[in-house]
Amino acid sequence: MSVLTPAEAAFSPQEAARVDAQVDWVVIPLFVVLLGAVFAFQFALLVGDWDYWIDWRDRRYWPLVTPLVLVILPGVFGYAFWKLLRIPLGATLSILGLTLTGWLSRYLNFHEFAGFPMNFVIPSTFIGVGLLIDCTLLLTRSWFFTGIFAGFLSGLLLYPMNWPLLAPFMVPVEMHGTLMTVADVMGFEYIRTAMPEYVRIIEQSTLRTFGDAVTPLTAVFAGFLTILSLWFWAWIGSLGVKAVWLRKVV
Amino acid sequence: MNFIAKLFAVIQGLMVVLVTFSATPTYAHGEKAQQPALRMRTVHWFDVDLSTRKLDVNQILVVKGSFVPSLSWPEHVASIEDTAYLNVGVPGPSFVRLDSRVNGVPTIRSSSYKRGERYNFEITLKARTPGRYHLHPIINVKDAGPMIGPGIWVEVGGDPAKFENSIKTLFDQTLDLETHGFANAASWSAVWLVLGLVWFGYWLTKVPLILPRFRRASALGENADDMITTRDRQAALVILVATLMLIAGGYFYATERWPVTTPLQTGKIKTPTLKMEPSPVVVTMDDARYRIPGRSFRIEVTVSNSGQSPMNIGEFASGGLRFINSAVLKVTPKDQDDLVAQDALRVEGGPIKPGETKKIVIYADDAMWETQRMTTMIASPDAVVAGMLFFFDAQGRRYPVEISGPMIPLFGG
Repeated sequence: MSVLTPAEAAFSPQEAARVDAQVDWVVIPLFVVLLGAVFAFQFALLVGDWDYWIDWRDRRYWPLVTPLVLVILPGVFGYAFWKLLRIPLGATLSILGLTLTGWLSRYLNFHEFAGFPMNFVIPSTFIGVGLLIDCTLLLTRSWFFTGIFAGFLSGLLLYPMNWPLLAPFMVPVEMHGTLMTVADVMGFEYIRTAMPEYVRIIEQSTLRTFGDAVTPLTAVFAGFLTILSLWFWAWIGSLGVKAVWLRKVV
Repeated sequence: MNFIAKLFAVIQGLMVVLVTFSATPTYAHGEKAQQPALRMRTVHWFDVDLSTRKLDVNQILVVKGSFVPSLSWPEHVASIEDTAYLNVGVPGPSFVRLDSRVNGVPTIRSSSYKRGERYNFEITLKARTPGRYHLHPIINVKDAGPMIGPGIWVEVGGDPAKFENSIKTLFDQTLDLETHGFANAASWSAVWLVLGLVWFGYWLTKVPLILPRFRRASALGENADDMITTRDRQAALVILVATLMLIAGGYFYATERWPVTTPLQTGKIKTPTLKMEPSPVVVTMDDARYRIPGRSFRIEVTVSNSGQSPMNIGEFASGGLRFINSAVLKVTPKDQDDLVAQDALRVEGGPIKPGETKKIVIYADDAMWETQRMTTMIASPDAVVAGMLFFFDAQGRRYPVEISGPMIPLFGG
């Protein structure tokens, strides 16, 4: 048996390219699954019922809480992807992962296991937020301007982005002399033993000073807060990529 | 050391297998897990019954009964007089709730209930999923949790695929609540998914990505932006514009298709109390002792009868357990899990004659105290008990009265 010399052991350019590609095909799917799992857990903790049930997605709290939480992982991983690889894909990829695990969870846990109809527990759509962040980052090549534009638009546009999904459930219905939406009726009819009506954290009165312009005001406020949230989490990402252990591993 | 580690690994593996395969379905709702003080001093349930105990999918089941919020409600437990909600304890949406009323008022929303007042409830359900269910009425109290009523077994048969549940909107459209809006939401989600995958796919066309780009970004340092090509910028611009157009298009599509919508509705409703005739029976609890070895509750009460007929004690109910004086009342358990002791109430002191005030001693003796985990009341930091005494006059009319007071445990004898 002959022993390879250091020169013989080195990869040819073709072999090196093949190894690089193989690394991609192993790492990228694993990363999507990992991101999806981490995001699903984090989203369940911080948004949870607001996004599980159709009768929780109100026009004040849901569009305020959701974008703030939604940009956490896109901020962290978006920064890491950009800094280490110059790929503006962290936000879209993490939200694609969330979408995948969200649909799996709603179908297997909520529909098949718990028995709720799928239309009552359908996940919202957030992929647009990831695209706004990634595309703005690529075009501006600046986290400052990505926060200003994409952060603001993420908070501002989350509600209209989901309105085609939500609108059919906000049609008015009369039930035993009470005005309700279709979503409220579903919440009443499909029994959730551990979720009495008062547990829902939804809009209970209008913003008095601003008349009934609840949705636009919430959206603008959410936009401003999401700028800060995206900046903060991108900063956390910047601390992450500076970690000495990470450089040693890579 | 290696052997011990392997042994532990084998034991752990065996435990996982045993736990996994020995698990059986759970049918109850944790009523035994609630501490006795909560069960005895929050909501007294009585006359709870079902219109039928066997039905098919799409058939109607009515749950009826009464409850009285205790006057002895613990100070440290959030009050039912603030916010509460009449609910049903079943495994998931095996039924849909079509109507729910307390004292005739629809309780779609939350309400509040006054302590010491009586409330009659009626919940109309429609069977959705075949199975055998232990169905309980429940009062969820905000910041306190569920106060569980008595459970009754009900069996649902039939074909779940034939379940129907529709409503009419204010525009007279009939909607199938099992499917309404799903295809629409799934379609929009799919459109967004495609757009996201296009962006992801654009970058996948550049594979190998990770290692070459990491090397190049590291080498370029501050100039790593040079890695972004004009084609990348054009692709980003196209996707950005498509994203904004899809948001705008979706929004205008939805406002066009569903022009009139309403915000989610919430708020509290007021439930009136029942107008009841004043009770001719006034009761004071003088002493209560629970003898642990005999599972025997001895209660001394002073009873005043201002009515026209002699009064007998027929039942003592506390914490969901019913102790019946068979000399006065005949009760048949609804099923094998009905918490009724048919002949477990002994009354010393006889009937209370009209105009009479006398001391009565009752003994509620049954193993249910033990089996339903009520004996842990001796470990309560607030050893106060409460329950309902049911008096019956000569005509068989019933007079429920709540009693409450401190309890002393007896450990021997």
